Amino acid sequence: MTRIGILSFAHHHAEAYVGNLRAIQDVEIIGTADDDRARGQEVAARSGLQLFTSAEDLLRRRPDGVIVCAENVRHRALVEMAARAGVHVLCEKPLATALADGNAMIDACARAAVNLMIAFPMRFSAPLLEIKRVLDDGRLGRIFCCNATNQGQNPRRHRAWFVQRSLAGGGAVTDHTVHLVDALRWLLGSTIEEVYAQTNEIMPSGGDVETAGLLSLRFRDGSFAAIDCSWSRPDSYPTWGGLAIELIGERGVIAADAFRQTLSRYPEQSPRVQWHYWGSDANQAMIEEFIASIRERRPPRVTGEDGYRALEVVVAAYESARVGQPVRIPAKGQPTDG
Amino acid sequence: MRVAIVGSGSMGSVHADAWRHTPATVVAFVTASENEPARTLAARHGARLVTRLETVLDEVDVVDICTPTDLHVDFTMQAAAAGRHVICEKPLALTVEDGARMIRIARERGIQLFVAHVVRFFPEYRMARDMVMRREIGRPAVLRLSRCVFHPRKSDNWFIDPARSGGMMLDLMVHDFDYARWVAGDVVRVFARSIRASSPEAQVDHALAILTHRSGAISLVEGSWAFPSPSFRTRFEIAGSDGLITFDGPSATAIETHLHRENETERHEVPLPRSPSHESPYATQLRAFYDALHGGVEPPVRAEDALAAVQIATAAIESARRRMAIEIAPSAETP
Repeated sequence: MTRIGILSFAHHHAEAYVGNLRAIQDVEIIGTADDDRARGQEVAARSGLQLFTSAEDLLRRRPDGVIVCAENVRHRALVEMAARAGVHVLCEKPLATALADGNAMIDACARAAVNLMIAFPMRFSAPLLEIKRVLDDGRLGRIFCCNATNQGQNPRRHRAWFVQRSLAGGGAVTDHTVHLVDALRWLLGSTIEEVYAQTNEIMPSGGDVETAGLLSLRFRDGSFAAIDCSWSRPDSYPTWGGLAIELIGERGVIAADAFRQTLSRYPEQSPRVQWHYWGSDANQAMIEEFIASIRERRPPRVTGEDGYRALEVVVAAYESARVGQPVRIPAKGQPTDG
Repeated sequence: MRVAIVGSGSMGSVHADAWRHTPATVVAFVTASENEPARTLAARHGARLVTRLETVLDEVDVVDICTPTDLHVDFTMQAAAAGRHVICEKPLALTVEDGARMIRIARERGIQLFVAHVVRFFPEYRMARDMVMRREIGRPAVLRLSRCVFHPRKSDNWFIDPARSGGMMLDLMVHDFDYARWVAGDVVRVFARSIRASSPEAQVDHALAILTHRSGAISLVEGSWAFPSPSFRTRFEIAGSDGLITFDGPSATAIETHLHRENETERHEVPLPRSPSHESPYATQLRAFYDALHGGVEPPVRAEDALAAVQIATAAIESARRRMAIEIAPSAETP
């Protein structure tokens, strides 16, 4: 039996992870702890989970692993606490909101010899895995360029903290850039050297963060990519948003949409069309990888280091938007790829 | 109203067909050297075929320039000096300096200079812009504009010669640079990356530009000559503070491939988008220019707008080359 705890339900993905964990044989969810007492009680009741009085209390029951789904700025404290308790960690993305925090989390887990996995489900997306096979087979030849989108509805409809800088660290750039940065590093097998970004808050955030962002990345191998991370899907959109990439190579173009395996439903009364996803569940495969890495005593396929590389781009994007020019990474004084 | 069309290539032919939807008459085609396709074109429209513009300048009211871009400035100077109105294919010119000269001489000679930014006359683009102007989606925040076509394989291939066409970023992306500015207002900063700049050895032309508008809105403009023939895909979306407009959004497929065949033997010339309608956007455009010349109606696209689009495109090219964002300062000739 592999015993897992969930530290905080601040991120609504935690609710999906409960279902993912329950679908795996010989996994026991020992319970949850949440510093928001009301949220913890509500989720524990709805999901049938035991509610611990604190994260320390949960960790004293010696789970094999925990999933950290706290607000972005609170990831570090919980991950360090889990590492001290000798417990493996799957941390919701983004790893952190500052590079120093990310470094500290990676160090803490390395010292404690526990796994630090980061929740980048796109590594497990069936359409993106198919793209990866096409690229690895060389069917597109050399890849020169990528046009990518990870647009969504404003996530404040799920949780208010997403639009509060003090808890989220930032808005659309923080929330949506990291998935594509990681997917592109993985697909292209190259390192990002330079970031340009422009942002605005013309679409009201309801808080104090940017809602729109366009990024332009340059990779070490000379290829480049654009990322649209905007919360530009209205509440009436047929689904929460999406993630799509278009790759331009020597032999042609290939485009993948990770969430467009859907049925459209047109209700008789409501004017609202809805897209219902029927594709494979990337979260399920990601959670299975976390469990497998614990059982097989090996590092997971997506690590804290990957989370750190994505965070570097987020930090550089904010700096670029501030100065209006591209910004090199890693910034001076930061460690380079090993 | 009598028109001379300079150029007997595909755009000259498209314009000649479009002029038939107006009361104007195409009386002559001007071509560098007489050739069979040019003779056929002229005969089809009952027009003369001449090799020098001055031969017919006395007979016409309007000179419609459908030549390679590098010739726009000289023909405009010649027509304007003779007091003839000018309609010029896009882009206005290869450089901001040339475009500014064209606008100055038009002002000095009191003639009209209209630039064929035909995307403004495509119904889907026009409707979306009208919606934005009516504030139906609030303030524009993020625009995505994409124009992905195959590599032009014209016989003389002036399109792919940057010295003649300005290259893909000027020749093709200028459409969407103009449209972005038409929808979201003046552009103050441009950043672009292109395969031409990043991998000059590659035979692939594709670019991604980020525009920052004075309003704070941001636009992602994608231009491509990298698709297999005969692709012509245009897409756009405009996200505003109060809603979203999309044209050709994501299709219900997880993966789409457009691979080049080993031997692409089909010889497609200049790619033109096609969508069935009662009137081609080229005809709508020339009717609007006719009304502006004949009835003094405000033209839907001013030369100053076309110059601003050239300014954005040349800034994008410079940005890709110098790997830095380029700030755009308003000039005397831009609005």
